Amino acid sequence: MEQRSNTFLDNASEALKNTGQAKRRDSMARLTPLLRSAAIEDAGDFESLRQQMKQVRQHSLDNLAHYLTQFEQEAVHNGNRMHFARDAEELNSIVLDICQQHDARRVVKGKSMVTEETGLNSFLQRAGLDVMETDLGEYIIQQAVETPSHIVTPALHKSAEEVRELFKDKHDLGPRALEDTTDMVAEARQVLREHFLKAEVGIIGANALIAENGYSMLVTNEGNGDLCANLPKTLIVCTTIDRILPRAEDATAMLRLLARSATGQSQTAYTSFYSGPSRDGDVDGPQETHIVLLDNARSEMLTGDYREMLECIRCGACLNHCPIFASVGGHAYGWVYPGPMGSVLTPLLTSLEQSNALPNACTSCGRCAEVCPADIPLPDLLRDLRHEETLEKLSPSRWRLGLKLHAWVSQQPWLYRALTATIIPLLHLMGRRRGSFTRLPFASGWTNERNFPAPQKKTFMQLYKAGMKKPNE
Amino acid sequence: MSESARSEIFAKLRTASRGGSAEAIDRERQCLQSAPAPMPPATEVCEAFLINVLKNRGSIDCAAGRGETVKAVAQYLYQYFRSHRLVAGNDPRLAAMPWRDAGVLPRFGGIETGEPVALSFAHLAVAETGAIVTYTGKANPAANNLLPEHQIVLVDRNDLVATQEQAWTRINQDMEKRGRPRGINFIAGPSSTADIEGQLVYGAHGPSSWHIILLGDTPADILARAHSAVT
Ligand code: SF4
Repeated sequence: MEQRSNTFLDNASEALKNTGQAKRRDSMARLTPLLRSAAIEDAGDFESLRQQMKQVRQHSLDNLAHYLTQFEQEAVHNGNRMHFARDAEELNSIVLDICQQHDARRVVKGKSMVTEETGLNSFLQRAGLDVMETDLGEYIIQQAVETPSHIVTPALHKSAEEVRELFKDKHDLGPRALEDTTDMVAEARQVLREHFLKAEVGIIGANALIAENGYSMLVTNEGNGDLCANLPKTLIVCTTIDRILPRAEDATAMLRLLARSATGQSQTAYTSFYSGPSRDGDVDGPQETHIVLLDNARSEMLTGDYREMLECIRCGACLNHCPIFASVGGHAYGWVYPGPMGSVLTPLLTSLEQSNALPNACTSCGRCAEVCPADIPLPDLLRDLRHEETLEKLSPSRWRLGLKLHAWVSQQPWLYRALTATIIPLLHLMGRRRGSFTRLPFASGWTNERNFPAPQKKTFMQLYKAGMKKPNE
Repeated sequence: MSESARSEIFAKLRTASRGGSAEAIDRERQCLQSAPAPMPPATEVCEAFLINVLKNRGSIDCAAGRGETVKAVAQYLYQYFRSHRLVAGNDPRLAAMPWRDAGVLPRFGGIETGEPVALSFAHLAVAETGAIVTYTGKANPAANNLLPEHQIVLVDRNDLVATQEQAWTRINQDMEKRGRPRGINFIAGPSSTADIEGQLVYGAHGPSSWHIILLGDTPADILARAHSAVT
């Protein structure tokens, strides 16, 4: 997928012009936090749950070499073939090789952000394979030739009307009108059922890999991932090396938080654990199963300053609670992962140079960190990335000069106080009548969008000193 | 390619990992606290389970003995399909039911195109999540969970556990005895999607209706109690 993260501001302005989408984002941004908080309340003690999950995730990452070795042994013992991919290209060619070895032409896919990251679909399609996304949201955007706008609900940006038009265009509907959402879902179900029954290869992601028994865990509501895992003769599980959990019951803490944080459900309809190919006496299931584990910068993240980001469980809560995401939507972020988690991940998985606009797409409001079930300090990580951006001189020189000047003045208290003691009363005097400014020299970036409030007469230090003197007067 | 990728990745991970013997790592893992389970919606485990099934948008019924069970299945079939046919996995517990007494005509095996109802017997069920658990295999082909429009699941009261941790204790015991099944499926409700404008629709790919029949001795008013807790 072509990356457009560094034109974030332009992408954002463009996104705001589509008022229909902006309205829908607005109502989703009101609704999803309500659903989440009701579900979290029902979960009991959110803080202990997330601390427990954090401990387990940290312990797994601290001992990743050990648990990954154990997982590999168990998975091979269960009959899987294991593959390791250093980067996106390697994962794509491993998957293509497997498909070609089976002379496969038709592939069905469950939702997988990892394969979005590697651009697997277009790679397989270029090699002549018929690749069908089967998660309804992914199917919609695949038909519309678009990219996901949300990590959990990828077609969030589409209206029902747009989906109806799309299906009219792409499907042979005959006299069917697809009046409501139920009709549209039934239509997609019917079309995709054919694909499930004909496909030779199924590709799914994994929410976790269980080291003690070599199972991979898949969490969905639609059941499409399970159809991909059970109907085609060959199954390929694509995920990343950091998804490991020591034991099956360690998935419990994650499961108690994942769906509640993502959709406000207490859990999803399907939580499945798959160990490998069909056993003797089984009536269905794949004959051959492969697990492809992608690194793509995760091993570097493990030793770096942003390691906590590996604890992310991809619930999407930080997106749903982010005022920037709510305003501009996922496409403005210009790559696979949007919102706060995407603004941290994108620079780490691509480069800060290609995406330094993203860590700046943050108001530091802190809502993301408050709701993150993995307790990831997202605003801190974003701040650190901005700091790196300045050190690497990636931000515009005007900004850097301004920041330097500000830093220098702040370190000279006498000068800072003298300057503010001159400017503040002056601004107070000038803005007294209207209470705010519509234009100010050197501050057009602010006043172009909104008024600048006129300050109080005195500076904080003046008031503070006056307050200090009072008791002695 | 894969072999060199593997060794390169493991080399990096070994540098990043803390090291220590397998025993030491296991000891550290043992010391981690376990996750607190949410408060159940009722103190009695059967009631809590049925309430959570309803919350998951499943429908519920109870049956004390085998005669009542086949009758409950027959009633459901007649209500929705005016039929007596269904498909069921080759589960000896299902085969032993007196189907003929209620006029039900089960076909044992994997689901085929056009069959709208499948019947499963859960290995266990979890009150905490209102989920039933099946293992893939002859007794319960995976497709029987996924392809029908309606899935009916029988749950023996004795196979009901309170929490997800207890479910794993049972599953691990089963695995020790009988080996690892290919798939372990926790199912908690009909298949659903909210991918079009956030509107919840049932029957996305799998069943649009999911019906649970709890078998065994249960309090007479348990269904009414469960329904009143949800409405
Ligand atoms: S960063 Fe936290 S809130 Fe955001 S997707 Fe990951 S786990 Fe969820």
